[in-house]
Amino acid sequence: MTKATRPILLGIALSCLAAISTAQAKDQLILAIGGEPEQGFDPLLGWGQYGNPLFQSTLLSRGQDFTPQPELATKWSLSEDRLTWTLTLRGDARFADGTPVTADDVAYTFNTAAKAGGRADLSALAEATAIDEQTVTLRLHAPRITFIDQLLTLGIVPHAERENGYSEQYGRHPLGSGPYQLVEWQEGEQLIVERNPYFYGPTPDFERLVFLFTGEDATLSAAHAGQVDIAAIPPALAANVTTSMQRVIMESVDNRGILFPMQPDNGEHAASEAPIGNDVTADPAIRQAINLAVDRDTLVEVALHGFGRPAFGPADGLPWSSDEERIDAPDLAQAKGLLDAAGWELHDDGLRYKEGLPARFRLTYPSSDTTRQLLAEVSAEMVRPLGIEMQPTGRHWDDIQRHALHQDAILFGFGSHSPQEVYYLFHSQHAGNGYYNSGFYTNSAVDTHLDAAQAAPSSEKANRHWQAAQWDGTTGYGLRGDASWAWLVNLEHVYFADTCLDVGELGVAPHGHGWPITANLLEWRWVCD
Amino acid sequence: MPRIAMRLGRLALVLLCVALVSFGLMMLSPIDPVDAYLGPQVAQVSPEQRALIAERWGFDAPPAVQFGHWLRQLASGDLGWSHVYNQPVSEVIGQRFQRSIVLLASAWLVSALLGFALGVMAGAKEGSPLDKMISTYAYLTASTPAFWLAMLAVLLFSVTLGWAPTCCAGPAGVLDQDVTLTTRLHHLVLPVATLALLGIANITLHTRTRMLALMRSDIAIHAFAQGAGRFDVAWRHGLRHASLPAVTLAFASLGELFGGSILIEQVFAYPGLGQATVAAGLRSDIPLLLGIALFTALFVSIGNLVADTLYGVIDPRLTTGGS
Amino acid sequence: MITPQPRLRAMLSLSITAVFIGGLIASQWLLTDSVQRMQFGARLAPPSLEHWLGTDALGRELWARTLAGLALSFWVGCLAALLSTLIALSLAALATLSARLDALVSLLIDTLLSVPHLILLMLIAFALGGGTQAVIIAVAVTHWPSLARVLRAELWQLRQAPYVHISRALGKSRWFVLHGHLLPHLLPHCLVGALLLFPHAILHEAALTFLGFGLSPSQPAIGVLLAEAMRYLNGGYWWLGVFPGLGLLLMVLMFERLSSQLRRAL
Repeated sequence: MTKATRPILLGIALSCLAAISTAQAKDQLILAIGGEPEQGFDPLLGWGQYGNPLFQSTLLSRGQDFTPQPELATKWSLSEDRLTWTLTLRGDARFADGTPVTADDVAYTFNTAAKAGGRADLSALAEATAIDEQTVTLRLHAPRITFIDQLLTLGIVPHAERENGYSEQYGRHPLGSGPYQLVEWQEGEQLIVERNPYFYGPTPDFERLVFLFTGEDATLSAAHAGQVDIAAIPPALAANVTTSMQRVIMESVDNRGILFPMQPDNGEHAASEAPIGNDVTADPAIRQAINLAVDRDTLVEVALHGFGRPAFGPADGLPWSSDEERIDAPDLAQAKGLLDAAGWELHDDGLRYKEGLPARFRLTYPSSDTTRQLLAEVSAEMVRPLGIEMQPTGRHWDDIQRHALHQDAILFGFGSHSPQEVYYLFHSQHAGNGYYNSGFYTNSAVDTHLDAAQAAPSSEKANRHWQAAQWDGTTGYGLRGDASWAWLVNLEHVYFADTCLDVGELGVAPHGHGWPITANLLEWRWVCD
Repeated sequence: MPRIAMRLGRLALVLLCVALVSFGLMMLSPIDPVDAYLGPQVAQVSPEQRALIAERWGFDAPPAVQFGHWLRQLASGDLGWSHVYNQPVSEVIGQRFQRSIVLLASAWLVSALLGFALGVMAGAKEGSPLDKMISTYAYLTASTPAFWLAMLAVLLFSVTLGWAPTCCAGPAGVLDQDVTLTTRLHHLVLPVATLALLGIANITLHTRTRMLALMRSDIAIHAFAQGAGRFDVAWRHGLRHASLPAVTLAFASLGELFGGSILIEQVFAYPGLGQATVAAGLRSDIPLLLGIALFTALFVSIGNLVADTLYGVIDPRLTTGGS
Repeated sequence: MITPQPRLRAMLSLSITAVFIGGLIASQWLLTDSVQRMQFGARLAPPSLEHWLGTDALGRELWARTLAGLALSFWVGCLAALLSTLIALSLAALATLSARLDALVSLLIDTLLSVPHLILLMLIAFALGGGTQAVIIAVAVTHWPSLARVLRAELWQLRQAPYVHISRALGKSRWFVLHGHLLPHLLPHCLVGALLLFPHAILHEAALTFLGFGLSPSQPAIGVLLAEAMRYLNGGYWWLGVFPGLGLLLMVLMFERLSSQLRRAL
């Protein structure tokens, strides 16, 4: 090669590369928002619980003002006795293989979900029946005010008996009527999806979406290198934004808090063989003291870099939670007094003991999560002066399920648009049910309130019961009652997005491991050329 | 050749022992084997199903029987199911090894060639500035934590200078088969460089020692007496004498290379066998962990076998007596 | 160029190392609080006069954490090297007692040497359920083979010595020969071997904790510090990754130098 041709060839190569990359940017969007579902994209196993399963459609969707909007269902009504939902489906909904979505599919989905034992709890459903091609009824055992959640979040799968119908492999080959269809899923790495040509709604702007499931570190690197168009960033690392990116904040009801095992250690085991109980956290004085000692404002500052606010309950600011549930400032003196009164003596080593039992337990968090690690470490530090030793321990989720779930204090996250979550978290019926009520909290007075809320005829009446469950003057799951959790913070979801990406009006996100930002995916636009 | 047959026999015996030791370790671990088998589904499975799984895999039998059962599965090619990757273990290892082999082979070649070259240059003239520089460099890198070096490389070349990508085997969003060769190479440069660095140090130091010995030997003195220059001697005689030990060392260092690749793959998020090993270990994926242990042991044993054979070739005295 | 006596050099290395280690251990006594103290107002501060090596995401001083990490590495390395040497010595001695035992020990050595170090480490740490103890045992169990090989070869050679033959001829048991004659000769080799093992031990301990096995993330092991630093690399917080690694490198170099000096001196 002569001296002149080499740089010319190099220039051509580089410009080709540049051309390819810009050409791709318009059609293809790269997202690194995490949340790879281990169980696959199967609504019956819990996919899309936060509300917008990418591949499937739901019967209804939540509007910006939280009122239900038509999706698959164009008309819906609840019977007088509040036991039967009747829905009329739209005529133009089709699965990605071109076949129409019928009432049979809807009935199948609901009936199977009720039996599947996955994350979706449809125990309230008696039977789903397809009246005709477009109409379906859902009959409940008893009135349940939160059942509408299922209409809003359960993705509809094709009937098992049709071609390409639901099967055990569905989670990896999800056929749905949603805006996108799955092209390739390299587990642990990336998910590639393409537009569903038969989707009934508005055509999304992007032909192809790529979801990266790289861990936090790799995601951050990719964001800084400009290799992703939008990336979820742990708030503590969101300080430095690169020049080609902008910080996008999504409000949320997502929260983080410390769950306490409520039962003492009696040597019992859960169905999964994980041991149940922790003698230290079973003592209400310990739980209340911790709640009084943590400085939530500092936690927001340090662990969330200011992107959040203090949390005192699972549903702060929502109508089913009381405004009076609040601690204005940490009160170490009161906390110490509580511990003293309960018999926890402070020894010379700085630790409290009660009848020989040291006030020490593990505070477990998922090891790959920076935010939770920071929250755990800082709260442990804040609680130390009391003479309580919380040991921050990072574990993978598998390990947590196997060992820690019912015996360690765990840094969990929840947050939902529906009070159903409160039911899951605090009703004794759900004690030991997966991640819900894993502390085995049982309080019959609280159960009564929660059941009354479900049976209430209207949201306003229900809300009064939900709030009573939190504190009814005598007892409750909240701070003034059993203090079953030490809720710490409400998060804001922070993303780095390319300055050319317009994500429209973001709503309020529930807890959803990254996916909630895709709720308005159909409105996203690429505004550069 | 009976010697090779003997060596192969020993290899098989060693592998059997590796299987025994690994299996024994897994028996020791606090993980319930059914839990390990189920992975995340553990919370949802009923006690009846657990009993069924235990029966099918023979978990309720005494350890010796379990081992026999497991060996039989291995012999028939069934390495078990990896719950971390939701695939058969053999598939996971196959796929990931394909990606790692490029990394390993390149690093191995680079470290062997470069290490040898540097060793020769250093040993040719003891005490020269070149020698001092090379030996110091080798000494330093041999003591450096490999993953720290990789981190520094990322910091310098990816974050600060932006010359190389920070992670993974290919760019985001591109299907595996569409990734071009150039892109693959681009993503491999830093990992290969950092992985090779450690191997280079060892080979350099050993080759240098050999060269020094050679330069003082009778052959060299004879050549010098005849008027040959240092580099001439190094080239003509040194290469021949020092190359085989270097190659031998390269084969023997496969174990270290594997270990290094685990760390490098972790730093660069390179989805190879090393990353799979860490995931298997952290998430108690026992079938995958055992499968990888055996697979790598096989690899390293073959490497050691080749090294031993070569060593026997260069120095027949060493084939007798203890190894 | 006048090179000082090897013994003198060794003594110099030894004293420097002793001073360093002494200082490290003393610092742990004096520093107990600084390691954990979170200064929320000075998070992720770059190195300066006020914060010598900078601070981490929770405002903890990096110099304090690095020192604590080095001290931890030192303890782990010491215990692991000690345990490893003991195992190597016992097994090498066992091997001389009979041909069958020798074959068994040799097979065991080959087995352990054919699994890549790090994988074997992970297997053992996993089997023992993680934690500091598991790391120490894992490092010890993976390092004894190479030392055992050397000791075994030495023992074989020593067995040919005349006084051993005489001892046996006089009717002394194998044990006595082992105990009285062979082992004392091995001690210098053991010492050197242990010292050689030490840098490998701490490098491997750092690797294990970096990958996430072993110690809890709140314990400031060097591996843990470096693993955390990875998160912050992209933000340009370079000091989090550079200094702990540098500390480890210096410590390893110091011990490598010491062991090579001692080897030459002895």
